[in-house]
Amino acid sequence: MAEEKKGRAVATSTAAKIPKFVRGNLSATLKAKEEGKKVAAAFIADGQDEIMRAMDIVPAWGESFSGVCAAKRDAEKYLQKAESDNFSRSLCTYATCNIGFDMMREELGGATPEGAPWGGMGRPDMMLGNGQLLCDPRFKWPQATQHYQQDVPVFVTNMYYPPWDPNADHHEQEAIYVKYATEELRETVKFCEKITGKKMDWDRLAATVELSDKTWDLFIDTYELRKHIPTPMDTGDAMNTMVPLTFNLGTQEAYDFYVDLNAELKQKIADGVGVANPEKYRIIWAAGLPSWFALGDFQYFNGKGVVFPVEVTYRGCEKIERLDLPKTNDPLEHIAWRWVRYWTHWYDAAKKRPGSTPKVERIIEYIEDYKCDGAVFHSAFSCRSWHAGIMQQAATLKKVYKDIPILIMEGDIVDISSYNEADTHNRIDAFIETLAAYKKRQG
Amino acid sequence: MTDIRDGNGLAAAEKLYTQYGSRARELKASGKKVIGYLSALGPVEIMTAAGVLPIRLKGNVSEAISKGDAYMETIVCPFVRNVFDLAVKGKYDFLDGMVLPHQCDSIDRTNETWSYTLGLPYWHFLNVPHVTDDPSIAFMKEILRIFIRTLEKFTGKAITDQAIADAVTAHNNNRKLMRELYDLRKSNPPLISGSEMMKVLVAAMSIPVEESSALIEAVTKEVKERKPAAANPKAKRIMLIGDQIDDVAVIEAIESTGAYLVMDDLSTGSKMYWQDVDATADPVQGIAERYLRKLKIPTTFVGSADTYQGILEERFGHMKKYVNEFKVDGAILFIYKYCDPYGFEVPAIKSYVEAAGAPVLYLEDEYSTSSLARVKTRIEAFLEMIA
Repeated sequence: MAEEKKGRAVATSTAAKIPKFVRGNLSATLKAKEEGKKVAAAFIADGQDEIMRAMDIVPAWGESFSGVCAAKRDAEKYLQKAESDNFSRSLCTYATCNIGFDMMREELGGATPEGAPWGGMGRPDMMLGNGQLLCDPRFKWPQATQHYQQDVPVFVTNMYYPPWDPNADHHEQEAIYVKYATEELRETVKFCEKITGKKMDWDRLAATVELSDKTWDLFIDTYELRKHIPTPMDTGDAMNTMVPLTFNLGTQEAYDFYVDLNAELKQKIADGVGVANPEKYRIIWAAGLPSWFALGDFQYFNGKGVVFPVEVTYRGCEKIERLDLPKTNDPLEHIAWRWVRYWTHWYDAAKKRPGSTPKVERIIEYIEDYKCDGAVFHSAFSCRSWHAGIMQQAATLKKVYKDIPILIMEGDIVDISSYNEADTHNRIDAFIETLAAYKKRQG
Repeated sequence: MTDIRDGNGLAAAEKLYTQYGSRARELKASGKKVIGYLSALGPVEIMTAAGVLPIRLKGNVSEAISKGDAYMETIVCPFVRNVFDLAVKGKYDFLDGMVLPHQCDSIDRTNETWSYTLGLPYWHFLNVPHVTDDPSIAFMKEILRIFIRTLEKFTGKAITDQAIADAVTAHNNNRKLMRELYDLRKSNPPLISGSEMMKVLVAAMSIPVEESSALIEAVTKEVKERKPAAANPKAKRIMLIGDQIDDVAVIEAIESTGAYLVMDDLSTGSKMYWQDVDATADPVQGIAERYLRKLKIPTTFVGSADTYQGILEERFGHMKKYVNEFKVDGAILFIYKYCDPYGFEVPAIKSYVEAAGAPVLYLEDEYSTSSLARVKTRIEAFLEMIA
């Protein structure tokens, strides 16, 4: 039987609503058939979610389900199932966990495997992959899954942005990238129309996109309340409160969630309530997906007076006005501009600081704005997408900014066999000692 | 310069293989610019047209990573880490620049680690898409044109369409010659061993295209003059599948058991040489189509057929042809650890190639000889099983 771990307590009551969101997303995939809706296996932050929402396609978020399995410490059976058909343990464990689950479901003729965390996920009618600059599994995973669900069509689109090059002006390349991304999104619409047998309602898509813009703005306004000292919300919470933005973009529920969170954070600030009491050190979660089975480590930090008022991970948006998006009546082009400008948002800043990079500039901006004393990165062994290049970011940060304390934690997103709680806590303790010495030196 | 003439092709290949990069070093000393690149996605036609020497970078499986790990995570592809380590240690100190084509996350996500650590005068990340539809071809042409402009700026010379067309002709001829050499592996026993072939393949990717063609021609002539040996009826004919295998260590592990390595589907081998660039009015069009639609690599998504079996034929049909044409008895699928693009294909490739009539041994390993004894044991057991 899987080891159940007591869920972490949350600092905001709004974050306590997140399990309902996640369960709702999972159960929607199971109820879709009786509601006459199509289900699409889908991936986050690739521009396709608003298309799905506007066409009443129910997204089945594999990354979310694997995260749930990990958080419940119940992923091993699925990882082993995938491994039994030669999927290596070194591959993305979001993918292998999900593939293992899908393999079991196929063996049961489409029935949900017994004991699936939170009821499992429904069988998709299509798989929407994406070739991006950030994740090979987003197109290899659907392809691999099709080996077991051979009747389920896979459509892969491409969503790129200009690569960072300190000697190039990325603005000169933007139009090429936006044109390409727009055309690829149009191909996605055509595919979805073919599978659903319904035409896109372009007015509805435009309204969905507008709602997403509002959600991006509200998300940033809300998260910027965390600049307050003591911070009213920590990254431990943010790994939950990211759910509506990440998995429910383009829905009223997502927007309303941040209205509530915004109000709660303002109230906490007014009441002088912080995550840690006293708040001794403020740290940025500078990169890396968390170990979903060890979110309690944030509380370990908090218990020692360490808070995370800001994180790069899952802050997958920016204030729309800061992106200075060109006007367009084409909602797909708007989505393309929004993502291209988001991914390149820190390029101009990086050019102004010799030796810097956009990722490091983003970290520096947050360190300054949120008054951080140090940085923590997490390196997950099965994920190259977010975790290769972290050492370079950490070294560059020290070189071009200042010699702040940095901790690079090691683990995984899903595979608990990589994790040792005692070792992790020892490393955190040592880091806090470094922080103390650093702050003393700073006076 | 390595002497390439009739009768010494294999010796020349051996020298270029053993002293990898020696010709590039010579040319650099004579004033030529040398650009290193990774993977089968390096558009060599454009680099040749620019008047620079493109050299595909390789690692050293016998050399432990000693400096690279200070900059690059161990979760990165072991091949990429090994090459990076050599570069940090100065093995490629003759490079004027590098091109990193966007093949996989291990390359894409370490672009800044490479460029900032090595600090070469020229650097370019070639943003090759993962899909092959018409908008992707148009985009590929755009990014190739950006690449051309950066090379023009770096060399100070315009790259004309005629120069690109000439380079296309030269590289197509090179590929044709290599395919002719591959044909000599169809006999039983093959006229050229797998180890010899690997040395030729590696040597060929380190020298100018005209010299590479001369080398292949010399080897072909030399091999054709060999007296056919008697075939060992028990020896199995093996195909090796994977990405960048660029050392004879694994090949020798296979051939030391008495098996014949007769074919490959490697990014240093047939993947590089089976598909030509079409001569198109705009030469960049043909290059875009070759690298995006014709190259059979797992980072290019293919899946337009109506049925799953049809999609498998699109993705792996060439392997079935190899099994038949080269009379393959068994295949070894050799994948590096931490490789998502190949790793997610393993069940599909394995079942497809086995259905084509060749049992498959799947091995996941490092880019290192440290585990060679274990690999050899697995290969021996596999060959016994299919005997």
